[in-house]
Formats: sequence, structure tokens, C-alpha cells
Amino acid sequence: MSRDFDWSAFLFLLGALRWTVVLSIIAFVGGGVGGLLLALMRTSPYRTLRWIASGYIGLLQGTPVLMQLFLAYYGLAVLTGLRIDPWPAVTLAFTLYAAAFLGEIWRGAIQAIPRQQWEAAAAIPLSPFAQLRHVILPQAMRIAIPPTVGFLVQLIKGTSIASIIGFVELTRAGQLIVNVTFQPMIVYPIIALLYFALCWPLSLLALRLERRIDAALGIGQPA
Amino acid sequence: MKYVFQFGIVWDHLPQLLEGAWLTLRLSLGAFALGFAVAVMLAFLRTAGPRGVRTAIAAYVEIIRNTPFLVQLFIIYFSLPALGIRMEAITAALVGMSINFSGYATEILRSGIEAVPKSQIEAGHSLGFTRMEIFRHIVAFPALRTVYPALASQFVLLMLGSSVVAAISAEELTAVTNSLQSTTFRAFEFYFVATAMYLAMALGSRVLLNALYWFVFERRQPLREAWSR
Amino acid sequence: MKRREMLIGTAIGGAAGVATLAAITQSNQAFAQTTPGAQPGAGGTLDRIIKEKKLRVTAEVTSPPFGILDKNNQPDGSEIATSRQLAKDLGVELELVQVTAPQRIPALLAGRADVAISSLSITFDRAKTVMFAPPHGALSIVIAGPKGKQIRNAEDMAGKKIGLTRATLEEATVPAIAPKSASLVMFDDIAATMQAMVSGQVDAAGMSAFAAKSVGDRNPKAEIENKFTVTTAYYAAAVRPGDFDLLQFLRTWVFLNKQKGVLAEIYQKYTQVALVDLPAM
Repeated sequence: MSRDFDWSAFLFLLGALRWTVVLSIIAFVGGGVGGLLLALMRTSPYRTLRWIASGYIGLLQGTPVLMQLFLAYYGLAVLTGLRIDPWPAVTLAFTLYAAAFLGEIWRGAIQAIPRQQWEAAAAIPLSPFAQLRHVILPQAMRIAIPPTVGFLVQLIKGTSIASIIGFVELTRAGQLIVNVTFQPMIVYPIIALLYFALCWPLSLLALRLERRIDAALGIGQPA
Repeated sequence: MKYVFQFGIVWDHLPQLLEGAWLTLRLSLGAFALGFAVAVMLAFLRTAGPRGVRTAIAAYVEIIRNTPFLVQLFIIYFSLPALGIRMEAITAALVGMSINFSGYATEILRSGIEAVPKSQIEAGHSLGFTRMEIFRHIVAFPALRTVYPALASQFVLLMLGSSVVAAISAEELTAVTNSLQSTTFRAFEFYFVATAMYLAMALGSRVLLNALYWFVFERRQPLREAWSR
Repeated sequence: MKRREMLIGTAIGGAAGVATLAAITQSNQAFAQTTPGAQPGAGGTLDRIIKEKKLRVTAEVTSPPFGILDKNNQPDGSEIATSRQLAKDLGVELELVQVTAPQRIPALLAGRADVAISSLSITFDRAKTVMFAPPHGALSIVIAGPKGKQIRNAEDMAGKKIGLTRATLEEATVPAIAPKSASLVMFDDIAATMQAMVSGQVDAAGMSAFAAKSVGDRNPKAEIENKFTVTTAYYAAAVRPGDFDLLQFLRTWVFLNKQKGVLAEIYQKYTQVALVDLPAM
């Protein structure tokens, strides 16, 4: 009486894949905003801002994503008294996570810009804000794009963890289908394939961008 | 209803949490050792092996790095039994973590190997070293030194990622925390303390790894310089 | 042109921020209304549900026959049908919040659902954190496994691997009777426990008799059979502590539907077993 893995099951998986993508995009965009803020705080001349940003990044990079998800899911409602629906709770957790990692990547990119660029921009003269906007950030962005795309891949894979709390994204959909068809040998590899189809092109893109930037910056193989 | 925090209950169950944390550490160290050993072989073959082997290894690395760890675990623990391959949850966790780590480590080691200046290798050739000897004496140590930070970060990621193996019932820290919070209904308190324990382990690991770096790579410097003088 | 980009970006960002704040304060207000201490006399959860015309109920779709995915991969099962009946009798729309077994009560307490109807057996421990309505169903917990394994009673579990799901009645009762040498393997989801049993990763597993039968029916090759019964229990709907208005409605609702035979009809349809006499509470 068990159903075989059929076309409708596959469509169910694709439907859940949609949620994986949506969750990843929201977390990536939200995390991007937060990450930019954190990167600016980390490179600012104000010690307090630097410490706050460092502390936040250290905290989120030093704890498992699953734990962050559990805390957001269980803890937030309890601490704030707010009723938080599943989508906001999960997207918030992944957004905070993405912000920490993107902030770290972008801080590295900003700090990779040589001191002279800052000094030259200041000599024009440009205000610190304008220095950032017109001289530093455009250059930093080019350096930051490959690792940022690389992190997007990590984020997409990371959303699979939401399945553990019952959130219906691709991995959970796979569990549900396996529960109906009892064919884990077919379903889980298909799930892996779907993630691969989503992530590998992005990984290749990141690699290609990195090579292009290395070439532009004149970084080649040492003799 | 105002939520009343009761951390005392967590304190009562501390021994169990520590047991779980101990398994987390053992799994992480074991997976690191196994994964690293595999990665060294694969990295060597990737740079110096025949074409078919190099492509196969590249495919292996890409598959691991572009699929979620949780799905890899499910395949090992739930799908393989259909082929007759059954293993304990802890074994499956170790295998899964090792394979996953080896994927990233192979790539990291490969970039370290390729960063060694070609002139060094040519010098080795001209001295009559075989490929194996070149790898061991000329490439390995500098490569390791270059990639050490990346490997250290990967270890911390490995340890934090081990929390996912709770889903296949391996009783490490996350699994223990889940069991305890579901029987005592003190979810927030338990997750808070478990998160703090992970943070402590992550920070502790970084400190130890930094010390190890100094011990292995920095301490020898004076000796080397004396040699070359 | 760069300036225009910045203005547009700020406008979008600002709009998004305002929308998020609005959403959060909206739900904050709603939640504040449900907590008696926050706004006494301002109307409770029941009023909010009727006003918003929406009832959020937990749905565990990996617990046959209480919660399953039908052939169109949509949620179905006796508890889901019960939830639909409740929404219909309230005259509101039903929203199912998908959960795993350990998430049933936390989803309720965190406000993600207003009622938990997911075969929650009535136990003392649970009664300390949620309020139970009168029971609307009954189940029994068994140890089940493939034919080859000889497990006639609790002692026979010695030296064997027994799969259990966290935060379920089987997790609460089996460890107490299991011999020390039995190895209890805990999963976060009933689906995983079933998978482990069918694939041979565990020798046997604890679950409801209905679930075991369902797994057996769907996997004739595995030859799953009930080994012995661990305990029986009544299950009921649960609400957050303090939602007395909702609780009173549920009491009335169970009473009326018991009289009309609706509960028995739903139960029979999915479990293929007649509903026993439900005690009042």
C-alpha cells in the first residue's frame, strides 16, 4: 500500500525546493544589509562599534547554526512575548547567521584595500563617507564578490537544517516522501542532486569570478 | 503568562550534557584525523596523478561541497542499508563527518600544494628526488604552513557542524540537549547552556590550534635560519 | 545616477523595514491580547481567533494515521480531519502549522499555533506546561519490529537497539521498563524512527500501534509485527496555560461532537477501529 516515488512526489519536492530558494534569498539579502553594517562597524575608528561587531560575529561564528535556529525558534517567543510565526523565526535566524559571515567577508575585503587609497581619497578631499562610497567600497566589492557567492552556496546548504524543526523545505520534503514511499535509496540521492543542481553553478560562478579578479589584480602563479 | 527561567534544572543534568560534549569532541577529532589522512592522499593524487584520477577526485570534492551535510548523513544512515550496508549511528556520524571534512580539506591542501614555488620542485627534480620524496620533503611542510589557518577554521566548522548528527540519533551534545529539553520542557534554558558550551569548545579549540601553530611552525624558525647561514 | 540609485535603495529598504515592523507589532498586539496578565479583560485567544477568522493548529504529518500525506501529498489524517472539524465549528479558516513530534508543545507555547491537535497523550508532565481539553481519542503504545526478532516482553529487549521518538509517550514510558542492556536510540521525528526500524538500523521501535500497523501495511516485505503493548492512553487537544476561554470552547466542542458521533466517525475512518468510550474530564 506504499506509494512508489512517482511524478507527483517529484513535483512535491520541487515545490519544497521553491521554499529553500525563497528562504535563502531572504536570508542572503537581509544578511547582506546586516553584513555591510557589521563590516563598516568593524572598520570604523570607534572602538565600541568595533567591539560590538566583533562580539556579534564571534558569537555567531562560534556556535552551531542548528543551535541558533533552536534558540530563535524556542527562545525568541519566550524572551520577547511576541508571537512569532515559523517563517519569520526561521528567516530571522538565517539572516542573523548570514549577516555575521558576510560581515566578516566584507571586512576582509575592505581591509584589503591599501592604505594609500584611503589617503588619496582623503586628499581630494572627500569626507570619510564619500571616501567609502566612491573609492573604497567599489574596489572592495570586486574583491568580495567571489567569497560572497561562495557563502551563498553555504547558506543554501545550511537551510537544510531547518528540516530538523519541521520546516518544510527541500530536505524535510524528502523525509516526508521517504516516509510515504519507504524508498530512501531513491529519494535522498535525488534530494542531493537537486541541491547540487542549485549549488554547483553558483560555485563555478564564484570560481570564475575569482580567476577574473586575480587576473585583473595581477595575481598569478609564483615563478 | 510570564515565563519563569529555571536554570537550576540544567545544572542538575550537567553530567549528561558533558557526556554529550565529550562525544562531540571525540567525533570531531576522529573525523579530523580520518578526513585529513584521506585528504592528504587525495590532494597528492589531485596534483600529481593521472588525468582520470584527477577528474574523479575533483568530482568527489564538488559533490561533497555542493550538497548539504544533513543529506549526506541521511544517505549514509538511511539509504545505504537498502544496499546491505548498515552501521551504528555513531559510526555513520563519524564516516559522514570524515567524508565531508575530506572534501573541504582536499581542496585546501591542494591550494597549499599549488602555492609552493615551482622553483623548489624543480630543484628537487634536479637533485634526483622521486615524486613521492619531493612531496614529502619539499612540498608538504610549507604547504601545511600556508594552509594551517584555513584548516584550523575548517576544524571549528567541523565541530560546530557535528551538531547536525543528532538527526541520526548520535548522542552528542545537541542530541542530549534535545532529549533533556523535551522531557523537562525547559527548552530555552537548555539550548542557552548548550550553545554556551559549543562556544567554549570553539574558542578553546582556536586557542589550542594557535598554540599548536606556534609550536610546530614558529619554534623551528631559529633552527632553520642557523642552518642556512 | 548614483544618487538616484541610493534614493531608490533607501526607499525600498525603508519600506521593507516598516513592513517588517508593522508585521511584528501586529503579532505583538495579538499576542499581548492573549496573555491575561498583559491586558486583563481585553478579550482572549478565542476572541482573536474569531476576529481574525483564522485558527492555527499543529499538524504532524509523519504520524499515521493521525497525520499523514495523502496521495496528493497534502496533509490528512484523523487529527487533521479533527482540526478541520474544529475550524468548521468555529466558523473560521484553518491554518496548519507543520511540526515534528518534539515541536508540538513548543509550537503551541511560542504562539505559532493556538491549539495543538496532534495525538498528544495526556500525561502529568505535559499537563504542567499546557492545558488539556477532554480527550477525543485513544491509542496504545507498542514495541514493534520485524518478524525475526523475538521480543515477547520488556526483558527480551535486553541487548537490543530500540528506536524511540523524542517528546512522545513512548519516550516517556519505554525507558522505565527497558532493561539496562537495551540500547535506546532517539530520533527527532517519527518518520526517522520508522525508517530506522524498516532499514534494520534498530532491532525494534516504540510507537503507537496504529503507526506500527501502518508501517507494516506499507512495507509487507519488512514483516513488521507488534511485539507487546507498553501502555494505553487517551489523547486530547491542548492549549496554552491561561487560554481558559479557548479551553472552555473545546470542552463544549468535544461534548457536542461526542454526542453527534462526529468524533467516532473521524476516528473510525482513519484508524479502522471503533472509538472506545471517551471519559469526561
